[in-house]
Amino acid sequence: MSHEFHFLDDVATADLAFDAVGDSLQDLFQGATNALIETLADPQTVRSSWQQTIVRADEDPAALLFDWLSDLVYWKDAAGVVFSKAHVALTHRPDGAWSLNGLLSGEPVNGSTQMLRADVKGVTKHLYRLGQERGRWTVRVVLDV
Amino acid sequence: MKLNTDMRVNRISDEVWEIPVTEKSGMLVPARIYATPAILQSMDAGVFEQVTNVACLPGIRRYALCMPDGHWGYGFPIGGVAAFDVRSGIISPGGVGYDVNCGMRLIRTDLTQEDAQPHLDRLLMELFRRVPAGVGASGFVHLNRSSFEQVMTNGARWCIEQGFGWHRDLEAIEEGGCITGADPSKVSDQAVSRGINQLGTLGSGNHYLEVQVVASDRVCDKETASAWGITGHNQIVIMVHCGSRGFGHQVASDYLKVFERAMRRYGISVKDQQLACAPFTSVEGQDYFSAMNCAANTAFANRQVITHQIRESFAAVFGRSAEEMGMELVYDVAHNIAKVERYPEGELVVHRKGSTRALGPGSPDLPPRYRMTGQPVICGGSMETGSYLLVGTEGAMEDTFASTMHGSGRTMSRAQAKKAVRGEQIQQQMKQRGIIVKAVSISGLAEEAGFAYKNISEVVEAVDRAGITKTVAELRPIGNIKG
Repeated sequence: MSHEFHFLDDVATADLAFDAVGDSLQDLFQGATNALIETLADPQTVRSSWQQTIVRADEDPAALLFDWLSDLVYWKDAAGVVFSKAHVALTHRPDGAWSLNGLLSGEPVNGSTQMLRADVKGVTKHLYRLGQERGRWTVRVVLDV
Repeated sequence: MKLNTDMRVNRISDEVWEIPVTEKSGMLVPARIYATPAILQSMDAGVFEQVTNVACLPGIRRYALCMPDGHWGYGFPIGGVAAFDVRSGIISPGGVGYDVNCGMRLIRTDLTQEDAQPHLDRLLMELFRRVPAGVGASGFVHLNRSSFEQVMTNGARWCIEQGFGWHRDLEAIEEGGCITGADPSKVSDQAVSRGINQLGTLGSGNHYLEVQVVASDRVCDKETASAWGITGHNQIVIMVHCGSRGFGHQVASDYLKVFERAMRRYGISVKDQQLACAPFTSVEGQDYFSAMNCAANTAFANRQVITHQIRESFAAVFGRSAEEMGMELVYDVAHNIAKVERYPEGELVVHRKGSTRALGPGSPDLPPRYRMTGQPVICGGSMETGSYLLVGTEGAMEDTFASTMHGSGRTMSRAQAKKAVRGEQIQQQMKQRGIIVKAVSISGLAEEAGFAYKNISEVVEAVDRAGITKTVAELRPIGNIKG
């Protein structure tokens, strides 16, 4: 099981875009989450002194991922933190909905110890699409910065 | 002429180009792009696609417009202007932008470059310390829910009451720094949580605080400049570019979701999900307008608190009060906003997204001090190339719903710019050219390199020749603070 992401050169002139890929839907969620975390700050320079649990459910995995990524942006501002890591656990419930249990780890913003990057203002629906290609899950995300 | 579109683009003049309604199914009005032939050729395909999508929105009047600094945006292009009938038209967060009331502010001084140069390093350090920037930055103003609601409803007026500025500042802010009709009950708790600690912060991306010089030979309209306190003689001025931060973004995100559902109810279909909208008179439309006005007022307050910090920084470094240094506000303009304005067609909801209001001389909507000259228009360039001060014209009021450009506009993505140059290189090169840059994110500096933007002088020339603004002065950077 694996996931990866890469930032896109020729999409979103004024902002940032990435593609994430995963063997499973959970892998895809983890890859997209890692891409957003890397956009905000180098996670290697961020400790894990702050944690937040997030629980969400949605029948549509694309909507669930969109809301989860938006949660990260929200907590970045509301708690004034950047993230070291995030663990995502995704389950498909008997009623057909997808359930997400996320654990965000990070610490308050500190420019003297952390390598800060872009202040993402939000996740957009521009070109946003989640699907399967050649047996792997993919998503394209454009971030407003 | 080779353009990045297959659509027919007709020449109206050397600076105005029109895409007729026959070029896309559903267009209700033609789309008009303001650009020189060279700028038009360099415009990305997104501009043509998006401005014609806007032309399909219900209740649109006259034209869907795009200014010469236009480029691809979310829903509307950046540089987009569209006006909708208040009774039959819509309101759309995509026509305002996520950063509600992102705008520009210019402060004059009596200082010259010769006065400032020996203290420039210390001044930049002081500004960098007092005006937080970058990821997760929080301001020095501590608010509770009740006081934040006062910021939402009173905007810059709240700041003046708290001592963050001078009463006369309000006359030099669009709408007096306070738009009526803001209703905090229409704002989500999430938006409040995101914004409550951010008053007085710059943010990141293309937002900045810049110390600039006005050389005498760069003042094109001495009479207008003089009326606004711009004297030339290597005069120091300070420019601020920022908006409503996470608060405004959350308001936009919240209402995009509301509007996606509302469109089904009202039977509205749009060409792009990011053009989600609702009838202006609907409950959803009015709720968004009230919430957007809260964010707009918060942005005015944000720039006012930053102005207070700038004055304090100058006073600390130069050992004189801000009043003694003549640190008066030249003007503050919004360039991401929707407002109800009166035109020959009647009352219209004018959306400006990356576009500045540009009222001409004699407009009754201007305070007396600007009525003779017309409204100041502040246009930010890249951190390397400088910025412009323009003035609104009667031409803009007749042709573009009193709207003009807002900046230079990007030509290269952030990811491409970062591959082309490193932040440290840019910082060093700028230092060699006499521009000191302080940045929270050095890697982010590369994204803002001058080569990633259009040549602002060409953009200004386009609006000048089109007659929708006139050039007053060019402003050259010597110090820049970025997130």
